[in-house]
Amino acid sequence: MNAATPITPSVRQSRVRPSRRTADRMLRLACTLATVLGAVVLGSILLMLIVEGVRGLSPTLLTHPTPGPGTEGGGIANAILGSLVLTTIGIVVATPIGVMAGTFLAEYGRTSKLADVIRFLNDILLSAPSILIGLFVYTLMVRPMGTYSGWAGGVALAIIATPVIVRTTEDMLRLVPGTLREAGAALGAPPSTVIRSVTWRAASSGIVTGIILALARIAGETAPLLFTALNNNSWFNADLMGGVANLPVMIYQFALSPYPNWQQLAWAGALLITLAILALSVVARVVIKPQRAR
Amino acid sequence: MSTAATAATQALTQPATRANADSSAPIRIAVKDLNFYYGQFHGLKNVNLNFHDRQVTALIGPSGCGKSTLLRTFNRIYSLYPEQRAEGQILLDGANILDPRVDLNDLRARVGMVFQKPTPFPMSIYDNVAFGIRLYEKLPKAELDARVESSLRKAALWDEVKDKLKQSGMGLSGGQQQRLCIARTVAQRPEVILFDEPTSALDPISTGRIEELIEQLRNEFTIAIVTHNMQQAARISQFTAFMYLGELVEFGPTNRIFMNPEKRQTQDYITGRFG
Amino acid sequence: MTALTDQIALADSQRPALRRGPSKGADSLFRGAAYASAIIVLLVLTGIIGSIIYGGWPAFREFGFGFLTSSVWNVGTEQYGALVAVIGTLSSALLALVIGVPISLGIAIYLTQLCPGWARKPVGMAIELLAAVPSIIYGMWGLFIFAPLFARFVQVPVSNLVEGLPVVGTLLYARAPSGVGILTAGFILAIMIVPFVASIARDMLDQIPTILRESAYGIGCTTWEVMRHVLIPQASVSIIGAIMLGLGRALGETMAVTFVIGNANRLSASIFDPGSTIASRIANEFNEADGLQLNALMALGCILFVITFIVLIVARLLTRRVKVA
Repeated sequence: MNAATPITPSVRQSRVRPSRRTADRMLRLACTLATVLGAVVLGSILLMLIVEGVRGLSPTLLTHPTPGPGTEGGGIANAILGSLVLTTIGIVVATPIGVMAGTFLAEYGRTSKLADVIRFLNDILLSAPSILIGLFVYTLMVRPMGTYSGWAGGVALAIIATPVIVRTTEDMLRLVPGTLREAGAALGAPPSTVIRSVTWRAASSGIVTGIILALARIAGETAPLLFTALNNNSWFNADLMGGVANLPVMIYQFALSPYPNWQQLAWAGALLITLAILALSVVARVVIKPQRAR
Repeated sequence: MSTAATAATQALTQPATRANADSSAPIRIAVKDLNFYYGQFHGLKNVNLNFHDRQVTALIGPSGCGKSTLLRTFNRIYSLYPEQRAEGQILLDGANILDPRVDLNDLRARVGMVFQKPTPFPMSIYDNVAFGIRLYEKLPKAELDARVESSLRKAALWDEVKDKLKQSGMGLSGGQQQRLCIARTVAQRPEVILFDEPTSALDPISTGRIEELIEQLRNEFTIAIVTHNMQQAARISQFTAFMYLGELVEFGPTNRIFMNPEKRQTQDYITGRFG
Repeated sequence: MTALTDQIALADSQRPALRRGPSKGADSLFRGAAYASAIIVLLVLTGIIGSIIYGGWPAFREFGFGFLTSSVWNVGTEQYGALVAVIGTLSSALLALVIGVPISLGIAIYLTQLCPGWARKPVGMAIELLAAVPSIIYGMWGLFIFAPLFARFVQVPVSNLVEGLPVVGTLLYARAPSGVGILTAGFILAIMIVPFVASIARDMLDQIPTILRESAYGIGCTTWEVMRHVLIPQASVSIIGAIMLGLGRALGETMAVTFVIGNANRLSASIFDPGSTIASRIANEFNEADGLQLNALMALGCILFVITFIVLIVARLLTRRVKVA
């Protein structure tokens, strides 16, 4: 064909049509801009939180409870403590259930129909609107008990955290090579011993990552707490009955309130909670690293 | 391994359909003082080598010897990876393709490549072949159809797919997919075709068909093929380059390399004493 | 002799005892606990469905099919209809997709194809951190930072431009350019689903064998052509699955939307006007509601669940087909 008459490719001349080159440049530009946009949004969110949040910092922030309407000063100590308690309840309830359910899916139910159904439902639960979980816990606990309560808030958060832990636990256990299980079983160890002392251990960093991610997820949840723990301007009772102050609902109510000192407290709370959650996310990613590298 | 080497020499002594090396053929690619780096690692060391017009040149050597690396410099596909770089000169018809001003897209249309595994694109059989043509030429429908057909014929695939051109290319068998990729490359009318272990993922029958095909394509194209299979090199190439540890050890007509190697390392490799 | 038989007898009696031992009981206990935990997941989901159907039933019974088609939401006269909230939910989520999907794909392409190696990790991390920011923070950002800028630089000029024009004059006219409204909610939702869709799309693009990418470049494609004709189609099924998951999130997102949508119960043809979504209405009214209003809100929850359920099933089917292949 044309091989006999060699074309000398000129380095200056290209057969690539200008329109193709333009389309390519547009794509590169658009993709870069999209990424810059993402970074700018993150940057502006952080900047907003720092500028407004630092203004809201005061000596009483971490020592005083939230003030009543029209009351000067005050802090958010009760909300911070309440959030810690609620997320702790959530994660303490969710972790054993989530890890065990994930273990069931990965170890016992690989081929069973029931496991397929549960895996599917868990994925639905994982993405279900959190406000519906609030409605559920309201019907389940708040209404029968006749009062908003910290327990209800904790349970709502546990329901949100569980599917995250189930999913990551199952995924991580599935990464454990079958030969490891066989080696354990070959020593005569019963299945539960193999799971506890071999597979869990092999997948531990991944499972821990899942728990941290679940923690990060529920720490900022607001919608399900609106109908369960609600809020309170005082310290909570040890029995956790009645409304319990927590950061997300406090931020929601105070940010939209007409009182300047409430708004400032909302900003300070927003700064603290975002930093805490971002720190948790970073930690989770650092923990998972060795597994990804493998 | 030594049985393989015996088989390779047998392939040479058998009455071959393969044409003999034509050292007087014009040089299409001239590699001059080529050095290649993967980050800090020195992958190719001062390689000098010529590829002759309408000849098949086989690059052989043990794994990691740099044969694929060398092949991947001819269409600069390595520059997808920022940490890889080549120094020296590669002249394609006298023009240095390592020149930074070279348009890479255009270069890759002039120097086609067929990979270790079949890589059909997620589109119909027809579009797989027409895709590359459409990038560089605006042809009327009838002409495009004709080009697709002739390319599929050259890839010995036409009869098998002519009734299902609209079906996805992913539905073909492995050997058919690889011939589709060859048709796709041929359709662009490149000057050089690079084959990077094109049969390593195929069964012996498909391998045989691809080898026949390469033999036919030689009438139109200059071909470079990387292979880990010495029999294959002996069967289909006119020239053979033996590489070891990033260096070109020996280069010459395939007959001479296999029957009468000058270097000790070449002899050891083709007789199976290492590799 | 007797000692020996005694020993054998002892050994025989011990052997099955060792086998059965305490570990057997622990084994089935462990298995039972795992099974029970899995069943809890099932019970919780059925509980959610059951509770909202139970709670919403009186409203469905009272208004029948009209609940879906009525745009009235009047606490005084106890007349409730879902139409405004349903349309607000769907339109804000669709706007979020229209805005967010191109941005997500752009980021995924940038991270996998264009980004210089040293920047890949920090930029990828920044995008993933966007996903971790709580939704209430997005709400505050949307209300206090985005909305004023949006009102000043988009709503006012665009409204002035299109005033009186047919179609766009209605669609893009802000009666009161406050910055909040359906489109603002769409923007904020878009930003919230971007990190999510982008990270799945990035993983999918990363999973495509390098050799396919190389062979696309190998016939002389530009990056745009490689993406448009080869890589995106190759990953399309799972990318659509990711988009559906993003849609599921946008439909049910509550706090961010509540801040920026304006919470108006009015059917408006303009995407600049305030509206409300199912989730924002529940968040706003639930605590002060009782009687039929409470039932109507529960019924709204039912509708939201059905919509997201369908979307999630589609997403799940798409992502699963890919996993098997």
